[in-house]
Amino acid sequence: MKIRRVLSIIGLQFIGLIFCALSEGVVNVQCPGDIDGDAQWTGAEVQPPNTQCIHLAAGDGFVTMADGHLQYTFGFSEVTGVLPEDVMSTGMLAAEFPGPTIKVKEGSNVYLTLTNVGMIRRPDLFDPHSVHFHGFPNAAPIFDGEPMASLAINMGSSLTYYYQAPEPGTYMYHCHVEATEHMQMGMLANLWVTPLQDGTTVGGCTAQQYVFNDGDGSTCYDLDFPIQLSGFDSIFHDLHIAVQPLPFAMMKDNYPMINGRGYPDTINPNPLSAPAENGGIQSQLMSSLITATAGQKILLRVSSLGTVDFYTLSVLGIPMRVVGRDARILRSSSGQNLSYITNSVTLGGGESYDIILDTAGIAPGTYFLYAKDLNNLSNNTEDFGGMMTEIVIL
Amino acid sequence: MENTSKRKTIGIWLLSAVVVLFAAFPAHGAIDGITGTTFNLTARPGYISTAEGGSYLMWGYANGIGSGAMQYPGPTLIVNQGDVVTVNLSNQLTMPVSIVFPGQSAVTATGGTPGLLTREAAPGGTDTVSYTFTAAQPGTYTYYSGTRPELQIEMGLVGALIVRPTTNPATQAYNHPDSQFDHEYLFLLSEIDPIIHDQVSAGNMALVDNTTYFPVYWMINGRTGPDTMTPANNPLLPNQPYNSMPMMHPGEKILLRMIGGGRDMHPFHTHGNHHKVIARDGRLLSSGVGADLAEMAFTTTVVPGSTADAIFGWTGDRLGWDMYGHTAGDPLQPNEYAPDHGKPFPVTLPTQLEVTNGQFFSGSPFLGTMGYIPPGEGGFNPNSGFLYMWHSHNEKEIVNNDIFPGGLMTMMIIEAPGVVLDNP
Ligand SMILES: [Cu+2]
Ligand SMILES: [Cu+2]
Repeated sequence: MKIRRVLSIIGLQFIGLIFCALSEGVVNVQCPGDIDGDAQWTGAEVQPPNTQCIHLAAGDGFVTMADGHLQYTFGFSEVTGVLPEDVMSTGMLAAEFPGPTIKVKEGSNVYLTLTNVGMIRRPDLFDPHSVHFHGFPNAAPIFDGEPMASLAINMGSSLTYYYQAPEPGTYMYHCHVEATEHMQMGMLANLWVTPLQDGTTVGGCTAQQYVFNDGDGSTCYDLDFPIQLSGFDSIFHDLHIAVQPLPFAMMKDNYPMINGRGYPDTINPNPLSAPAENGGIQSQLMSSLITATAGQKILLRVSSLGTVDFYTLSVLGIPMRVVGRDARILRSSSGQNLSYITNSVTLGGGESYDIILDTAGIAPGTYFLYAKDLNNLSNNTEDFGGMMTEIVIL
Repeated sequence: MENTSKRKTIGIWLLSAVVVLFAAFPAHGAIDGITGTTFNLTARPGYISTAEGGSYLMWGYANGIGSGAMQYPGPTLIVNQGDVVTVNLSNQLTMPVSIVFPGQSAVTATGGTPGLLTREAAPGGTDTVSYTFTAAQPGTYTYYSGTRPELQIEMGLVGALIVRPTTNPATQAYNHPDSQFDHEYLFLLSEIDPIIHDQVSAGNMALVDNTTYFPVYWMINGRTGPDTMTPANNPLLPNQPYNSMPMMHPGEKILLRMIGGGRDMHPFHTHGNHHKVIARDGRLLSSGVGADLAEMAFTTTVVPGSTADAIFGWTGDRLGWDMYGHTAGDPLQPNEYAPDHGKPFPVTLPTQLEVTNGQFFSGSPFLGTMGYIPPGEGGFNPNSGFLYMWHSHNEKEIVNNDIFPGGLMTMMIIEAPGVVLDNP
């Protein structure tokens, strides 16, 4: 696309958004105790007990695939700590892939504000957005983010979601507006709830971190890593930025990824360099390189938000103990431990697994975590890529 | 989203919502189907409709010998544990056809001609084959063609078999109270590749190519969304009699009878809460005592040819606010979570100009309360219930051949206490 045309579109869009903000929309953070609207407690502001605030922007942006192909995306970006008057400018074209990871404590009052900053590079679109807290038990439609049964937030405005985070475990969040499109476009992220048992020593767990309130330390871990699986169909993304009809039914992912990157970008410990097309904002912040010292217990918080495929994930050389699935501990109703050792797990979209890798007795070295559906080990036509990362045992 | 398809989509949704609102739901059994111990089925061709306006040739099992409408899926056969069940099959298709009953032991077949997996009914309508078995174990099963299944199941020759237990057959799925439910619903999940159906329709049997199989329609009980939500026996869908419209009150339990009716796996996601998978392939997940090995899931992968039973409950407990909008002095609703009684709604909602209201939104966060929604938005939730999308979470599958939304999805409704459910 011609640079000059893009610039004028962006200019128009800014004017449109400002008008929008004046006429109907307003950035409105609702966070108890926060006075200046940055979703944080600073200076004289007092954080109420058991309260967490998060502010996300929803908009568009760009990411780079491991073979160098640029992809237009929709996504969430972090604006917690940003003053309301700066949120629109900070959030525009800043879509992260995946979105910011959300970690909340069991039982805490969670206030998540979502501000829709608009799609700068698709000024013809006026799509609302939402946050679906995927898997949260006893959800109410008003905060479920599924737009047909509730409401979604329009451009230039904010909606605050509230949850009491009732059960620990590995969840995920995503936009549910035009879900096939917005999820394929990248509005996906990791979300987990840590248990009340954290910070106490149970069953000799000196790390004092657990996946669940297990009562016996059987879900104790030293380090946890999100492993979120997804894929992009580059034809869909390319047609999207070209303002063409979207091929929903023909959707076929050719870029399988972990946490928004294909191998070898997965093992780059740093944010990937910023695409010029979004004004130099870093958009792929999450490394999937896993490093631990022999003897440590590694918790993999595995989830899938792929819109097309099932994925089978395997670790070569380290036994995988599955301790939880879909944010529930593997226990029988009589309390029997049903965790099991395996070499692979298979996930459809919207499923999660909690897997502990006990590295006691594991020789130092590099181990691979990768998709066993081997066609997913590619970045489009480039081989030796895709859904793979490395576990380095020191 | 592309504009033309959006407009079309909204039109379809409005139409379907109108049907939901104004068509009377006839009172019927918990799961639509046919009961008894002897069933007469005929394999015959017919056409199904997809919600965006497509029409495709299918082959299906009709209820009757030489009569009855082709239906997709076939009639749900509902029997009692211990029954000696006989299924007679005749065939008005152009190739031999049969039925296999996975999960049933000692099925005997008489009549017809020998086939690869079982005896088959020859085409022409005069041949009849009879299958007999004892429904020894309660549970959710499937039946489908054992003749060229790679073609005939795709063409629609698949159905559900429900065996009711001897203990509390109206309220339990198995002979244990862990399987107790208030309402039960069938979720037979499938998909079709219209190219195969078009080739068969044109008589190009030699051109049917399973190696290039690429489905673009996804279904619950043979219907694409939003047709899933229109009434059972909808006259506009004469060959797709079964709907998918789960309903409950807070505190009640829904039994989901899930069946993989095609060739792909589908991750079925229940918004609103986890569901508890209590059985697979007609056997309780048990070490000997009830469903003690049941698995909690927010998404269950439904596998081709397999079944899974799950219990879904929803109480609204621990929301942290009163879902009825009560003040502290108001009386409790049945099954209300008392610790949240009278707790205020925790946030201020944006103004109407700042939001887009869903068609199934009541305009209020509170159960049973209607709020203001601008004209042209909302309006299809007459009792102000809580609605939850139940759908394939491989989100590609919630479209109808490029038109979003649709496909493998429906809405589950939680109605306020005291509201009489249309679909008991
Ligand atoms: Cu969105
Ligand atoms: Cu989801």
